[in-house]
Parts: sequence; C-alpha cells; structure tokens
Amino acid sequence: MARILIVEDDDHIRAALRLMFEGQGFVVDEARTGEIGMELFSKVNADVAIVDIMLPGMSGFETCRALRDTSDVPIVIVSARDETADVVRGLESGADDYVIKPFAPEELLARVNAHLRRRPDKSTNAFQLGHLQVIPDEGVVRNDDGTELHLTSTEFRLLTDLASANGKIRSREDLLERVWGYDYFGDSRLVDVHIRRLRLKIEPDPAEPQFLVTVRGAGYKLVI
Amino acid sequence: MRRRSLRLRLMVTFGLGAFVLSSLFASLTYLGVRHVLVNDQQQTDRRQSFVNAALIRSTLFSSPTELPSLLNSIEKATASNVLVQTHHQWLSKSTGAATSDVSQAIIHRVLSGDTVEQTVNSNGEIIFVVGVSIPSVETQFYEVFQLSSLEHTLRILLLVLGAGALLTSLIGIGGGLWVTRRAVAPLERVSSAAALIAQGELTTRLEVGEADREVQQLTESFNAMVSQLVERLQRDARFASDVSHELRSPLTTLATTASVLVQHRDELSSIGQESLDLLVADLSIFQSLVEDLLEMARSDASATSSTVETVAVVELLNQSVRSASQRHGLPEPPIVVINAHECFIAVDRRRFERVITNLVDNAHRYANGPVAVRVEHFDGHVTINVDDAGAGVALEERDQVFERFFRGRASNDRGSFRGTGLGLSLVRDHVQGFGGTIHVLDSPEGGARFQIVIPAIEPDDQ
Repeated sequence: MARILIVEDDDHIRAALRLMFEGQGFVVDEARTGEIGMELFSKVNADVAIVDIMLPGMSGFETCRALRDTSDVPIVIVSARDETADVVRGLESGADDYVIKPFAPEELLARVNAHLRRRPDKSTNAFQLGHLQVIPDEGVVRNDDGTELHLTSTEFRLLTDLASANGKIRSREDLLERVWGYDYFGDSRLVDVHIRRLRLKIEPDPAEPQFLVTVRGAGYKLVI
Repeated sequence: MRRRSLRLRLMVTFGLGAFVLSSLFASLTYLGVRHVLVNDQQQTDRRQSFVNAALIRSTLFSSPTELPSLLNSIEKATASNVLVQTHHQWLSKSTGAATSDVSQAIIHRVLSGDTVEQTVNSNGEIIFVVGVSIPSVETQFYEVFQLSSLEHTLRILLLVLGAGALLTSLIGIGGGLWVTRRAVAPLERVSSAAALIAQGELTTRLEVGEADREVQQLTESFNAMVSQLVERLQRDARFASDVSHELRSPLTTLATTASVLVQHRDELSSIGQESLDLLVADLSIFQSLVEDLLEMARSDASATSSTVETVAVVELLNQSVRSASQRHGLPEPPIVVINAHECFIAVDRRRFERVITNLVDNAHRYANGPVAVRVEHFDGHVTINVDDAGAGVALEERDQVFERFFRGRASNDRGSFRGTGLGLSLVRDHVQGFGGTIHVLDSPEGGARFQIVIPAIEPDDQ
C-alpha cells in the first residue's frame, strides 16, 4: 500500500485529495503547512509527496528543498501558478513534477501512479562519464576518488535512459514517456529543467556540456 | 504621408509669402526711387535748358558769331546734345543724328512758341528733350539729354532689389523649415511614442525636458493619459486574473470530489448517477472556461508573462499535435513537413502548444478532427496549416470565428466536448504575440484550413 504525503493549506482541496487517494487505496498523511509536512515525513516516510506552493510560513519551494535534502521521494508540486518562471523554480527546488490547478483529478492520479511505478533502471550496464562512474545496479554515481554523487531518482533515470540510447537522440517526448512514464500530458519544461539540474551535477562545465548534449530541434543525447 | 505634406505645405507657404512680400516691397521701392530720380534729373535738365536758352539769347543779341563756341561749351558742360534753329536754320554740332531725336511734333509746337519737354524712347535709350522757344531772336533751342547714367543706376538698383527679394524668399523657406521642424517634432515624438505603446511597450513615456510651454503641456497630458490607461489596463487584467485565480481552488475541490463520486458511482441510485454525470460534464466545461479566461487575462495583461524560446518548429508541432490528440483519445493526424526540418521559431512553448491544442480541438469539434497538419518553411516564414474535411467556414464568418464567445454551428459541440467559445480567440492572441498572423481558408480536402504564418528565425548557438 502506497503512502502519500499531501502538503496543502486549503482545507477543502486537501480533504478532497485525501478522499480521492484513499479511494484509490493510498494511505494519506495530511499537512497544512510545510513545517508540519516535514515533521510528518520524518516519521512516516511517504512514497510520494504532493506539495502546494502558496503555503503559510515555509513556502512550497522551501518544503521541496527540505524534502529533497533528506530523501529521494518523488515530489509533485500542485499549484495555481502556471507561469514558466514558477514551474522552473518549482522543479529547480527539487520537485519531479508540476501540476497546475485546477487539474483533472485523473491526471494527478495518473502522474502519482507513474512516479510510484518508476524504479531505477538496472538493466543498463555501468559506464564511465569522464571521472564519474555510473553504476545502475547499485543506483549510484561514484567519483574517481570513491565519493558518491547524489542524484535524485528522476535524475538517475534520465541519465541511465539516455545512456541506454547508445548515443542516439532522445526527443523530449520520448524522455517524458520513458523517464516520467507519461503518455500524453507531458510538459517539455520538465525535461529541460531536469537536464539542466543534471548538468550542474555531472558536467565539469555546465555551461559547455560535453556529456549531456542538446540537439537542436530534436532533443538530447548522451556522449560517452 | 500626411506629416510630410504638412511640412511641405508650411514650407511652401512660408516661401511664397516671403517671395510675394519681398517682391512687392522691391517693386514699390524700385518704382518710387525711379520716379524720384527721373523727376530730379528732369528738373535739373529743365532748369539748365532755360539757363542755356537765356545764354543763347544774350549771345545772339550781342555777338552772334560766338554762338558755335558757346554751343560747344554747353555740350561739354552738360553732356547733352544741343540744337538751335535760327530763322529756320539749324545750328548744331551734331545736327544729323541729333535732329532725328527731336520729333516734328515738338519742333512744330516750339515753333508756335510753346516750351515743350518730352521723354522719348529712342532705340532703347531714354532721352529727355526740352524745347524752348526764344521768339525775340526768332530762335528755337532744343536740348537732348541722355538718361543712360540714370538708367544704369536704376538697373543696378533693380538687380539689388531682385537679389534681395530672392534672398528673402529663401530665408522664408528656411524659416518655414525651422518652424515646421520645431512645430512638428513634438508631434512626431508623440506619434512614435503612441506607436510604441500600441505595440505593447507600456512603459513608454515622452521625455519631459526644456521645451515650449505648449509642448510641455502636450507632453504632460500625453504622459498622464498613458499612465491612466496603463493603470486601468492593469487593473482590468488584474481583476480578471484575480477572479479566475480565486475560482481555481474551489474548482479543484469540486473536480476532485466529483472524481471521488465517480469512483463510487455504482453505489448511487440511477437519479444520483444521472445527476453526477451532468455535474461532471459541466464541471469540465467550467474548468476549461476558467483556464481560458485566465489565459486570456494573462495575454491581455502584458507580454511579459511569456517566456520566449527558440524552438524547432517540427519537434514542437509533433509534441503539440500528439498531446492534443491523445488528451481526448483521438487519432493523431499526419504531419506533412515541407522544407521545415531545420526551421526555428521564437515562441513561448506553452502558448504554442495551446494554439495547436485549440486548433486540433476545434477541428474535432466541428469536423471530425484534422485530416493533416502541414508545415512549410518558405521565404523566412513558417506556415502551419491545420486542415480538416468538414463543412468549412463560411466567408462571412472567417473573421468572426476569432471573436470571443463566438460559436459556429457545431456538429460536435455538445456534452463534455463543448467549447468555451474562447479557444480560437486565444489562438489569435497568442499567434499575434508570436509576431504572426492567422487566417481561415479552404483546405484541399474541402473543409477549413486554419493557417498560421510565423516568422522563422536563425537559431542562436547553444
């Protein structure tokens, strides 16, 4: 049984979400502020978290960052703000996904389920990226001095999926489908922001990427 | 065009005015001076002639033999030709030529005892003839003065005045130019500022600097007007956006609880089920309506909320068409690409997807879906055609379809697939925001073709 943490200050929306997820067999933990959410999360370790942005006190962005600091739990931001700037900021604070209110409930449900289904792809062989060793079996990226680099599960899947393409280009659409598990409601901003975040972690010079290369008009490819 | 004609008109008016005035002044001056000079000269000549006549009379009385030398000295002193007729005999130094200057009429009148003077134009030269009768010695005396030196003076005067008139006209044109520039420059500034504002540069204001009072007033009232307009625009946009925004939360709750109810539909009575179906259907329309209104409020507010990126048109189109079709579980139309594989446009991705989604939805609503999406790159522009095989759009409705809340005679416009009436209007707003145009034409399949034309751009290096 999957456990979901809902951080949302609007009582009605929170209650409705609880009803919906409980109806789908989830165990729901509710929090009306980021602070309460963090406290709950440290106790119950949810499998997925839904976070609103406009929260009293600690904002949704801060909550995402705090959650991300302690866990790889998939985070879905649910917000009434749909400007690209907000979406990018949300994803950069560590969220894996961004859903805009008012959303179709089935869509939110489908996305949450997609995140729960995702498991690290262990079929790809270990490979070397410059001085980094990527080991899908163990789900780790190791520096040549033995220290481990921390990637979120979405970032890890993105990296291994691009590796499994064997140098071929993956379109944003392909990546949404393969990494996020979305058939149709993909937002290509999801891909772009995650690629950018991944570059910051693995590229020696993120402004001049040598591994994660943008192919204009087509998508991305990994140069090993 | 109108501005140039005002400038030209003012310049010509000033130039002509200066020309007419200076010509009039020059002519009057010339005529006046000429009159005074000629009069003076003639008076002097006349007086001299009388003195000379008196001299001749006394010489003829006392010593007639000295007459030729007297005449000689007179001619020398006065630079005139002198003719004397004594007892019908001509006595003159230069009789032949000079007598022809004196007309028979004058000779006749002088013979009859009159004193005659006349200005004669002889072979282009003005001469002044004075005839004096000296009856006591039966002598007639004629003196012929050349006015050529006076003519010379007058010609120079005419030349100077003409040049003056011309110069004045030129100065007039120059003044006209200056005045126009001064008068038109603020107008030009206002007009270019207004054009910028119309393009959406709402922060444009006229510069308040050192200027004439009238210009200063114009500047201030223009700026005040723009500020008020902008404030009002922003207030309206904010209101629309606030309203839609406030609707989002309850709508989210409604949609979510409705979906929970749908999960438990089987537990409801048939009346309950029917009511729930109605509720869910209208809820989704309500949701689309709020989304569209919000989108519209945002595109009204300003262009700042858009994030323009350089994107490959084919990739984005593929993605948009795919998600638009699959959202409703409908088949994807083929995308026909002509020469546009390496073609880029500068758009906000989300808005572009919205445009394509709305056009595809529209085709589904009115014509069983698009038969093809055709994209072509030609001459710096990308043309995207969303073609269907439906009934097409009547000529008189081709502009109206883009009006807010306009609805055509829909074949499919019912139930949860009902449109908000804002879709195409949003499409047009967004396309115009991309610097493009949209038109309805006939598709090759006999239905409607929604044609978007957007400028293609050179991709920046990344």
